[in-house]
Amino acid sequence: MVIRIKPKHLITGLAALPFAAVLFAWSGIFDVSASSGHWKITEWFLHFAMRSSVRTHALAVKAPDELPRHALKPAAGHFARGCAICHGAPGEPRSPAALRILPPPPDLAGIVDEWTDPQLFQIVKHGVKYTGMPAWPTQERDDEVWAMVAFLRELPGLDAERYRELAYGDAEPALGRAYGFEEALAECSRCHGRDGQAGGESVPVLAGQSETYLLASLSAYLEGSRPSGIMEIPARAVEPEFLPELARHFAAQPRIVPARTEDDSALHRRGETIARNGISQTRVPACLECHGRTERNPLYPNIAGQHENYIAGQLELFRDGMRGGTRYNHLMRNAAKNLTDGDIEALAAYFSRLQAPPENETP
Amino acid sequence: MRPRQKLSAFGTLMRRFSPILTLPIVGCAGIQSTLEPAGEEARLVAILLWVMTGAGAVIWLGVVALLLYATGRRRKVHGERESARLILWGGAVFPAVALVLLLAYALWLMPGLRPFVQPADDAMRIEVTGKQFWWDVIYHLPEGGSVASANEIRLPVGERVELELKSSDVIHSFWIPALGGKMDMIPGRTNRLSLLAIKPGIFRAPCAEYCGTSHALMAFSAVAMEPDGFRQWLTERTQPSATVAEAGSALFLRHGCGACHTVAGTGAAGKVGPDLSHVGSRETIGAGILANTEENIARFIAEPDRIKPNSHMPPFDMLPEDDIRAIAAWLKGLQ
Repeated sequence: MVIRIKPKHLITGLAALPFAAVLFAWSGIFDVSASSGHWKITEWFLHFAMRSSVRTHALAVKAPDELPRHALKPAAGHFARGCAICHGAPGEPRSPAALRILPPPPDLAGIVDEWTDPQLFQIVKHGVKYTGMPAWPTQERDDEVWAMVAFLRELPGLDAERYRELAYGDAEPALGRAYGFEEALAECSRCHGRDGQAGGESVPVLAGQSETYLLASLSAYLEGSRPSGIMEIPARAVEPEFLPELARHFAAQPRIVPARTEDDSALHRRGETIARNGISQTRVPACLECHGRTERNPLYPNIAGQHENYIAGQLELFRDGMRGGTRYNHLMRNAAKNLTDGDIEALAAYFSRLQAPPENETP
Repeated sequence: MRPRQKLSAFGTLMRRFSPILTLPIVGCAGIQSTLEPAGEEARLVAILLWVMTGAGAVIWLGVVALLLYATGRRRKVHGERESARLILWGGAVFPAVALVLLLAYALWLMPGLRPFVQPADDAMRIEVTGKQFWWDVIYHLPEGGSVASANEIRLPVGERVELELKSSDVIHSFWIPALGGKMDMIPGRTNRLSLLAIKPGIFRAPCAEYCGTSHALMAFSAVAMEPDGFRQWLTERTQPSATVAEAGSALFLRHGCGACHTVAGTGAAGKVGPDLSHVGSRETIGAGILANTEENIARFIAEPDRIKPNSHMPPFDMLPEDDIRAIAAWLKGLQ
């Protein structure tokens, strides 16, 4: 007997296919267990799809002229907190548990060279579907993602000692939840230092900061009103009851602004002029009226002696409307809206060399 | 008979609708009116308006009369020579003469052509800069020195003042309908306008060139004062307000208001927003849009973005309410 396939059979078969697929899924015969692994061809196809997708989407990513290597410190801290648990780190091999993830997370030191900067950015910012690779905690801080890309570029050349210094500073490595004050303090001091004097050019100095401002900022990270993939994680890892204590601790530390030469450069003088008088043509208010007064609103932070790169980075975020913060942050977005790159450079030069104004906490 | 019927129908129409037709003119009365001039320039323009309207009405009546005459039933037809003469005199000579006269009169009124508008060397010079959406005002005193103010211009009656009109962002237009103007304020240029107030009073002056979202909410008060009163007022303005040291000033400084605003005597010297040294004594706040009361000042501090959309002042509704009230009370007290 000869079976003749007519077009009508073909159409019926195609129409039945989705139902067959649902029936198959419902039956539970298909094995989703990670232990069973993928077929070779499935693995090849999934990787092929992933690489192609990253390559194509990265075409739209514009890399900065230079990777922000000054921000290695917070990126390393974040790597230790968020990435090393799966990917391992210099001196910290991947745990056997992580290796049983399907697909197993790669040891990054060996493979970052296979990707371009925009491709790494694409992966770090958006994550990868079906692999467990998460997106960056906020989609609004490309500067942080670029810092991570800069760190990933360093990774192949890092030995365990240098990695520990970058990632943990003077604190103990800690993973998980901070149940005690010392652990909570360690969450901060890994990047900011125990004395709040910071350990990198893009980490703010917390020493001598207004206590009210520190607490309000921690709350802003906690509530998501100050987006930051890096800061949201430690802010959430700490028991909320310790936040006021942490603010008090760092507010009480003395801020030491190293005396620097070349204070008389044209850039520094321009920064001082803007800080004192503002720029009336472009509606830039005088910075020091809020940040320089002894008797100021304690929610106006002390920015004297912050690192140059940190000040410049924050002003750029404010200008681009990406910097959240306390209920007062719209004031700064308004103030920074019309700053030019030159203004920002000058202000960063001026404030980073300014000795801290006396602190005030009178309510 | 047909024309007469039509006329009576038109007459009925006029009688019925004349109250409505006069409405637009009634709307021009008051503090923002060119028809109630209080300045020399506005007076001349008002006269020009009446002369033009009167002359226009006479000519119109003449033309209508001729039309009625022409359409009326006539036994005798005009001769060719008579018609040509009518066309020559009525159609060419009369309009030419009338128009030249009116034009000459109007040209003579143009400020740039009149010799007497050149202000004396010791005349008061007032620099006004249009900004989105307010007016920066600086009185340059003849004896040297200057007085800063905003959103209000005071002039002595009977003394010619020279206005230097500027803009720091987009094109605005300066116009005090009751006194004179208008003249555009153009970024990068200084336009000069000379005004002579002839009657005391308080007038409203709107921005007369679309300048952004809150253009319609940008105005100022022009106050024409007797010369003695004006001198005294100006002298008082060279000194900080007597109540400047009171409690509100600490709060004003504490919250950083001085980054944008100047208040003489406090050290606040911001140049982004209006000078507030004597803000309590101004006719309005928010550049001509709210009555100058403590409550309105507090409202403006808290939500300028709602009162004046797209204004550059950020809202301060996150300040403690008591602080807003105290600052508003202090500002109102700055007389």
